[in-house]
Amino acid sequence: MPRHARSTAATALVVVAGLGLAGCAAPADGGDGGTVTFAIEGANLSNGKMDPHSTQLDSSALVLRNVFDSLVAQNADGSFSPWLAESWEPADDGLSYTFTLRDDVTFSDGETLDAEVVKANIDHVIDPGTVSAKAASLIGYNTEDPEGSAFQEAVVVDERTIRFDFARPFAPFLSGLATPFLGVYSPASLELEQADLAAGGPEATVGSGPFVLSEYVPDQELVLERNADYGWAPEGAEIGTAQTLDIRILPEASVRNGALTSGEAQVIADVLPTDVDQLGDAETEVWELPGVPYSLYLNVNRGALTDVRVREAVARGIDVEADVESVYGEGYPRAWSALTSTTPGYDAALEESWPFDADAAEALLEDAGWTGSDAEGFRTKDGERLSVEWVAWTPQPDDAAALADLIQQDLADIGVELVRSVVEPAAYNALYGPKEIDVTDWSFAGTGGEVLANHLQTGGFQNASAVSDPALDAILDEAAASTDIAEQAALYEQVQQWNAEQWAIVPLYAPTRITASSSDVEGLSYDIYGRPLFLGVSV
Amino acid sequence: MLVVLWGAATLAFLALQLVPGDPVDTILGVDAQVGEQTRDRVREELGLGLPAWLRYLQYLGGLLVGDLGTSYQARQPVAEVIGSAVAPTLQLAAAALGLAVLLALIGTVLSRGALRGVVSAVELVAASTPTFWSGLLLITVFSFGLGWFPVIATRDASSLVLPALTLAIPVAAILGQVLREGLDAAAAEPFALTVRARGAGPLRLLGHTLRHAGVGTLALAGYLLGSLLGGAVLVETVFGRAGLGRMVLTAILNRDLPVVMALVVLSGLVFAVLSQVADLGARALDPRLRDGTSG
Repeated sequence: MPRHARSTAATALVVVAGLGLAGCAAPADGGDGGTVTFAIEGANLSNGKMDPHSTQLDSSALVLRNVFDSLVAQNADGSFSPWLAESWEPADDGLSYTFTLRDDVTFSDGETLDAEVVKANIDHVIDPGTVSAKAASLIGYNTEDPEGSAFQEAVVVDERTIRFDFARPFAPFLSGLATPFLGVYSPASLELEQADLAAGGPEATVGSGPFVLSEYVPDQELVLERNADYGWAPEGAEIGTAQTLDIRILPEASVRNGALTSGEAQVIADVLPTDVDQLGDAETEVWELPGVPYSLYLNVNRGALTDVRVREAVARGIDVEADVESVYGEGYPRAWSALTSTTPGYDAALEESWPFDADAAEALLEDAGWTGSDAEGFRTKDGERLSVEWVAWTPQPDDAAALADLIQQDLADIGVELVRSVVEPAAYNALYGPKEIDVTDWSFAGTGGEVLANHLQTGGFQNASAVSDPALDAILDEAAASTDIAEQAALYEQVQQWNAEQWAIVPLYAPTRITASSSDVEGLSYDIYGRPLFLGVSV
Repeated sequence: MLVVLWGAATLAFLALQLVPGDPVDTILGVDAQVGEQTRDRVREELGLGLPAWLRYLQYLGGLLVGDLGTSYQARQPVAEVIGSAVAPTLQLAAAALGLAVLLALIGTVLSRGALRGVVSAVELVAASTPTFWSGLLLITVFSFGLGWFPVIATRDASSLVLPALTLAIPVAAILGQVLREGLDAAAAEPFALTVRARGAGPLRLLGHTLRHAGVGTLALAGYLLGSLLGGAVLVETVFGRAGLGRMVLTAILNRDLPVVMALVVLSGLVFAVLSQVADLGARALDPRLRDGTSG
């Protein structure tokens, strides 16, 4: 009797039929102004990265800008516009900034903005319990050394006036304050547990921004509705009509591309440079990021790399221009300095100063005593092979791996063995902490030369090269304290020149942020990091 | 069953002790501007300062009273964290299983006719196609190409079709292969000759032999569970869906020990329960098992 088998098949049929029928249902509409679907990579947002004050992730900034406003806005030319603060005044000695707040700002939960609320936000940023991975350092505060920090405290002067006090001038303060990481929470959110803020959601993620988070499914999507009361946009900004912003988390680049070309998504972020050609008639915004270029970091305390001649040989022995072009295509410029060309303080004098020269690289290695040769063609000294290990973390994007292959080949040509290993982030961190990595790679976005301090100052968080040079530290301190833009630029030029002699950082190319949008979308704008802003969007 | 759970929890704990990497550094991320003192304090808060054996005993103790601990990453009870991800994955797995059974049966019926070679070849290809690739292929054809099923929309059930199909393909292939093998064996037995002698056609015969083959297929339940859960990791990533698969992946990468352990224990439990159910199912299908005589 086949009764059992038949009923199983019948059940399966019902399941499938049900799916088929549901497939005919019309998609839900977001409201009058229509829905913009924005697809992002965003895989790590669910790692408790929804609190702007504690996260350091770019994807957090991308998403949270829609919900949180800052006191000031930074324009594409580097200047600042009023936002939640209608005006501000730095003290002559650079030791304080006084902000006058707008009096008409309400948060989406009905709370109103005043100086106490701003102070509560800043106190949250610097609270050790927040474990701020970026926001605190952006305003010059170190939770482990409060006394020694540039930023000291926020002082409420009156209901609409707040003063930020510093122990020494801190030039990058305003550009830090303008980032989404210093976005202002509703006071009710700050009453919640840190874990709730970090996890995020309509209850916790509440600001005064152009959109209100109405639904959040971690690892899947965020639904935002336009804030109808929004009347405090930065000066000159247009307000669009799109009612709903649906941010969809799609970790696969090819799926995001397909979603755009098939019309399922209207805007996609994190487009790979190599995919731009496949996007048909979509508009692409290619934004060269300010900060440190994608670079190799040579650890000046490890093995053969302790010799500056070997480091210079590595820099000169890589055919950067050809390698970058063959991976990213024609017209993708190589980098010449430890800052990208769009960063204030960039030293253009370094351009063309160190073209690819294998002969020069070989001469440097000969000079450094690497004169022997082993069976595989690598250089040796006292019987030891000239070998360095490049450690990267997973997932290593295909383009980065392709570039690494070419670099490995270039270095093999001058007799340097580059051993490559790609390890999981956890294993990477275990090596990175004690600086047990010869060579590693990344790019680092930042609005000014201060990113050089992270990378080259003693104890800097991104100092993968393990540089510790008192003279250099002094220059970096002086630059951070300077409020004179020209003087600051001159100091950062010195730092870039230092690197062009010491080769702790081998710059390869300026990373770009590529956003693509369909022609149905109007009014998309970008912040200075090239992150799309949806305030003005209509469909 | 308790031994299975204890073994699973212990192995997971050991494995995560052996791999390098500190949960605090991992959760904060490579470019976090957080100093050593703060990292140490967080480590302390998570109880990571204690020796491994003590944490192991604490964990087992908690498990006995039904406490799965607190996620390092989310800082929330593991039961809540996992609870929120169970439903979408269950939905996906159930739909996939339904589809797989249906596809396997269709393949089986077809293979009784002239299409035997074709079905067998399709099964082989389907069983050996990486889920990741077949998912992308299905999206490209049916979503981006024909526009039949959405990938972006998550609310309507039509968005479940492609993920479920992706997950179902390899499972259906394996099911089909095993089912067919069982059918062939059953068809070679004397009772099949009797059935045919009564004048039954191939489909009628199938009705009889399917029951025999079903017993062998049920024994695959454990394997199916594994491939559904493993496949969910990839399918959920490709389709950008929330669920247990994504959670397993992040928890392992982040060394979120409490979540990994809970998931291991949970799968152990489901596996054990499923084996029992499969056993009962086999008894229902095969009267010889019910009577206690050997089959």
